[in-house]
Amino acid sequence: MSGISELDQITRATSGDRAAQAALVNRNMPIVFRVAYRMLQDRAEAEDVTQETFLRAWKALPDWQPKAKFSTWACTVALNLCRDRLRKKKPVLMDELPERIDTALRPEEALSSQQALQGIEAKIAALPERQREALSLCALEGMTNIEAAATMAVSVRALESLLARARRALRAGLSAELTGER
Amino acid sequence: MTDVKISTERVLELIAAFGAEPGAWPEAERAPAVAWIAESPNLFSAALAEARALDNALSLEHIPEPGPALGDAILAAAPSGAPVSKSLFAGVSAMIFPQGVRWPAGAAFASLMMGLVGGYAYAATGPGYDQAELAYYAAFGGEIGEDWMVSE
Repeated sequence: MSGISELDQITRATSGDRAAQAALVNRNMPIVFRVAYRMLQDRAEAEDVTQETFLRAWKALPDWQPKAKFSTWACTVALNLCRDRLRKKKPVLMDELPERIDTALRPEEALSSQQALQGIEAKIAALPERQREALSLCALEGMTNIEAAATMAVSVRALESLLARARRALRAGLSAELTGER
Repeated sequence: MTDVKISTERVLELIAAFGAEPGAWPEAERAPAVAWIAESPNLFSAALAEARALDNALSLEHIPEPGPALGDAILAAAPSGAPVSKSLFAGVSAMIFPQGVRWPAGAAFASLMMGLVGGYAYAATGPGYDQAELAYYAAFGGEIGEDWMVSE
């Protein structure tokens, strides 16, 4: 299926072509699941969101307009579903919490510790929601800044700011952990 | 080398936001940033090393795989036949022309055109409304051109 365009694949999937449907799922399900998992930190919930995203996709495909990549559209849907779930879980918005100040000392040395790196998932999970979304899409899923900004419905500059803050917070978190172990 | 200029501050911003790997930087700024770093490496070595360390840390992220049943469940809900279009025209067309709208529409258009041409030809050559109107006005009075269909 690698020789056909995404639009062809979507057209075939819409008309009931099982191979095209399988290819669309195989290509896009992993990224949708990972994005959902990073937001929800729960495998079962991430699977629910992934399934719901594709259910919506099957309904939306007959009227599909190739304005964006399918993965961008799917991640947008998945992020919205995740936000709904997070909102129901905790009324306090994480983005309203004060950002931790970067007090890192010798960050290169700190980050070289394998022990500290093992906790990277927890550090990502502790980021404010929007920073986590930006980091997930750009740094971890390899979306371009334009794709990630479109997925999150923010400007490219806003996305860049979220990314910089996320990386700064991660550096601070990893450094603090190492400092505490000494 | 590139003709596009980029400032030291902007390159540092790119590193801070997107990490040390130029492939992750915005495409439009990538070439000038790489060129500027190559020209003045000392300005960026510390920022790059710091960003590279974090990039390495992020590459160690582990996420569990989804269960094998997830893909099957998604595919089980996939459409099995032709899509149902949401447009009203398509829905009505499908009811009227279940075999497709192309030929019936063409035939209907041809019939309409034949009717219009035939009607016009008959009206131009046969006894027209003018004679009937003349007879009416002769019998009941009034002037030709008056809107006699409208009372009051």
